[in-house]
Amino acid sequence: MRRHPDRRETDAWLWPPGLPAPPATERRSAGDLPIRHPAPDAIRPGTLSGVLRDGQRELAAIGVDELVRILGGVGEALVAELDPGTARSQTGVEAPNARRERDHGSPGIREIAANGRLSPEMARAVVDGMAPSWRVRALDRLVATEFPVRGVLDGFTAERGSAGKAGAPEAGRLVRAAAPPLTLHFGAGSVPGVTVTSMIRALLVKSAVLVKPGAGDIALTVRFARLLHRADPRLARAVAVQYWPGGAPKWDGFERGLLRGADQVVVYGSDTTIKGIRARAPASTRLIEHPHRIGVSIIDPAAAPPGSAVDAARAAALFEQRGCVSTHLILLLGTPEAAATWCAELAGALAATENEIPAGPSTPGELSARHQLLGRLRLRAAASGDIRIWTAETGSWSTILAPPDAFEAARGRTVWVAPIASRAEALPVLSSLSAVLQTVGLAGIGAGFAQALHDLGATRIVPLGQVPFPGPDWFHDGSRPLRELVRWGELR
Amino acid sequence: MTRACGIVSGTGRASIGEVMDELRELFAGDFVDNGGASIIDAAAFDRLALRVHGAQRASNPVLRRYWDACARTEPSAWHEITPVPVQAFRDLPIIAGSAETVFRTSGTTGGDSRRGEHHVASVEFYRAAARANYRHHLLADAQALRIISLIPGPALIRDSSLSTMAGFIAREPEVVHSTWAFGPAHGVDVDAIREAVADSVAPHPVLLLTTALALVQLLDALGGAPLPLPPGSRIMETGGFKGRVAEVDRSMLYGRVAHTLDVPETHIVNEYGMTEMLSQAYDCVAGKGPPANERVHRFPPWVRTRALDPADLSPLPEGRPGLLAHFDLANAASVCHLLTEDFGWTTADGGVHLLGRAPGAGLRGCSLTAESFLRATRRGHGSP
Repeated sequence: MRRHPDRRETDAWLWPPGLPAPPATERRSAGDLPIRHPAPDAIRPGTLSGVLRDGQRELAAIGVDELVRILGGVGEALVAELDPGTARSQTGVEAPNARRERDHGSPGIREIAANGRLSPEMARAVVDGMAPSWRVRALDRLVATEFPVRGVLDGFTAERGSAGKAGAPEAGRLVRAAAPPLTLHFGAGSVPGVTVTSMIRALLVKSAVLVKPGAGDIALTVRFARLLHRADPRLARAVAVQYWPGGAPKWDGFERGLLRGADQVVVYGSDTTIKGIRARAPASTRLIEHPHRIGVSIIDPAAAPPGSAVDAARAAALFEQRGCVSTHLILLLGTPEAAATWCAELAGALAATENEIPAGPSTPGELSARHQLLGRLRLRAAASGDIRIWTAETGSWSTILAPPDAFEAARGRTVWVAPIASRAEALPVLSSLSAVLQTVGLAGIGAGFAQALHDLGATRIVPLGQVPFPGPDWFHDGSRPLRELVRWGELR
Repeated sequence: MTRACGIVSGTGRASIGEVMDELRELFAGDFVDNGGASIIDAAAFDRLALRVHGAQRASNPVLRRYWDACARTEPSAWHEITPVPVQAFRDLPIIAGSAETVFRTSGTTGGDSRRGEHHVASVEFYRAAARANYRHHLLADAQALRIISLIPGPALIRDSSLSTMAGFIAREPEVVHSTWAFGPAHGVDVDAIREAVADSVAPHPVLLLTTALALVQLLDALGGAPLPLPPGSRIMETGGFKGRVAEVDRSMLYGRVAHTLDVPETHIVNEYGMTEMLSQAYDCVAGKGPPANERVHRFPPWVRTRALDPADLSPLPEGRPGLLAHFDLANAASVCHLLTEDFGWTTADGGVHLLGRAPGAGLRGCSLTAESFLRATRRGHGSP
């Protein structure tokens, strides 16, 4: 890993107040960001989870409306901190660094970019895209959608009547929704913002959070946690972040200790990561799993609104295709000849997107994988003639026109386009992907197709232009984002 | 030199069979462990490479179309021939004519669902390409040797190029006995090894053939208890460079070997090879090995290697690490120029310093990697 001795290290942890500073830290690079984090024996896992459990009692006493205001306010403060335009908007005069920051990203954006190996432009686009779901209005909508009678989060409340009349008690039953005291989060590797969203969800249902961010999402997570600590001492006592290299043998004891101390675990990751957590977590600990997924878009160019290629380029490019919502495969209605024309358009859109939002630096391993894939496909094209490739000279994006059965997931703005003669032909293709399917973007395809898509595993079916950024209340991998965190109680 | 010059002086278009016959002569020639510069100079290598390339173009229309699509001009030197990525062996049979056998990769990165296949026209030709090289590096100065192999024998795994090579070595006249002490089901057979080592009837030195992983398993199984091999014993270990095994710290491994098996570091030879190419590289001659961290690998004279910039595949100067591309004339019947996934640099005297897999696997997000995708959707092919 590259080291940056000249650059100040980012602290990859934040513990509740009152705990002593770690006596020893370790240094490493996370992406291109130098970080330091506590050594394995810096704190006992039981101590950390015990402090958070104590803090959760105060968190639980905060009314949900107040929580929405606090958390949404912190979300807005985070956006302001990362937005170089804020200085001018507050003072009316452009700050000296504002122009440079607009062009190259604020220090915070650059830190997030280095951490996730994204360009500053991509880090900015990701934050701008995700930030709306962290604001007060969005959180208010999220709570309202998940809990139409929001009082259930504050105590036993009369359940809405079965006849649908709001507030009509049903046979005298009172209900309450409460998350267990402590939720341990294992964040996604390198998609900034996913962990922030996960933290917000748990805090909204009044669970203390202990977060291990993914290696590429440390900067934003710690920054958000720091703002939470500043915003309210009750939150500070219920929020902890600590990075450690997952899977490293010397951290096994620490990780097992935290798993023992948590009531539920939210884990984003590969099958290997999830299996590892399952194997080590106590049987009584609830696991909420978000495994890796892929996105598909179905486009009828003849019926789609103008700009479908541009929308498709953004659906693939944002998050550098690391996001579970990112489009990897496009099923395109029409003949192979028409598809070739559309692919050329898509290639142009990817090139334009690259100008606007450049790709981040690639590792030799990523570049090697790209050469292997494109070389393989060129040889296959020479053999069968059924594959065509458009690619940037820099290799930063590729469009591959190929039969559906040739598709395999790749990253780095690699968009596969498979021509299909009719909508019905999409179904067997999606059927073979159903185990890993998540978002399906549609352009020129009627919503009447949605039921068949859901039957095949798609849990998010949206217009193509909305693919990159789900709303705050989206059914993440088919689950309700807040309800999956709570336990219900009834009182008769 | 004379023989090599004679071989490369041929003009006109040759068939694959003709160039293979010419190469057999080259393989049988005097072996000099210097990366080939003194046996085949640059111009001679180019002429031979282009002659093989011409034969491959003529006999394999897929490769011809691939090269025509990739390059606008005819190559005038071996390195101008567009390499084929090794992963292409997962998709298509790459061979001129028919295959006598098919070697399959172990599926190190994709699981068994996506194994590469090297269709080999002649096993005897493979032996010819490998033989002088392994004899020079492994059998040097040996009068009589016993083989203990932790590589499964060729009868057990017929589609392994490594097992096949182990079988070649076992047939050498210096080898008086062979013990095959590894099975796919149970791994290292420690009892068979103990028994073979204890054989006092024929206390010849041992040539231990092993993968790095199997060697670690053997040492772990012995738990530090000494099992000294007879004086003059040597080890060929391979693997551990490709990221499959928990990357083995070579110096530490060799220290454990010296302690447990009483084989000094000087007598441990690392072999670098891949299913997709028929020639191998070794990092020393048994008995003369320098410390592990000072070694470089050397191919036979009919192989050339470059390190390429991962960004654009432009050639890098000696000493600069990049993706390794090998041009192996022994691959005349399939394809000679291979772009690997390995990282390393070349030295001025034709050596190769291997660093392992290209560093920095794809950053993990919450979308699927290619390998996870294949596992999850079971869309791979070629499972045994």
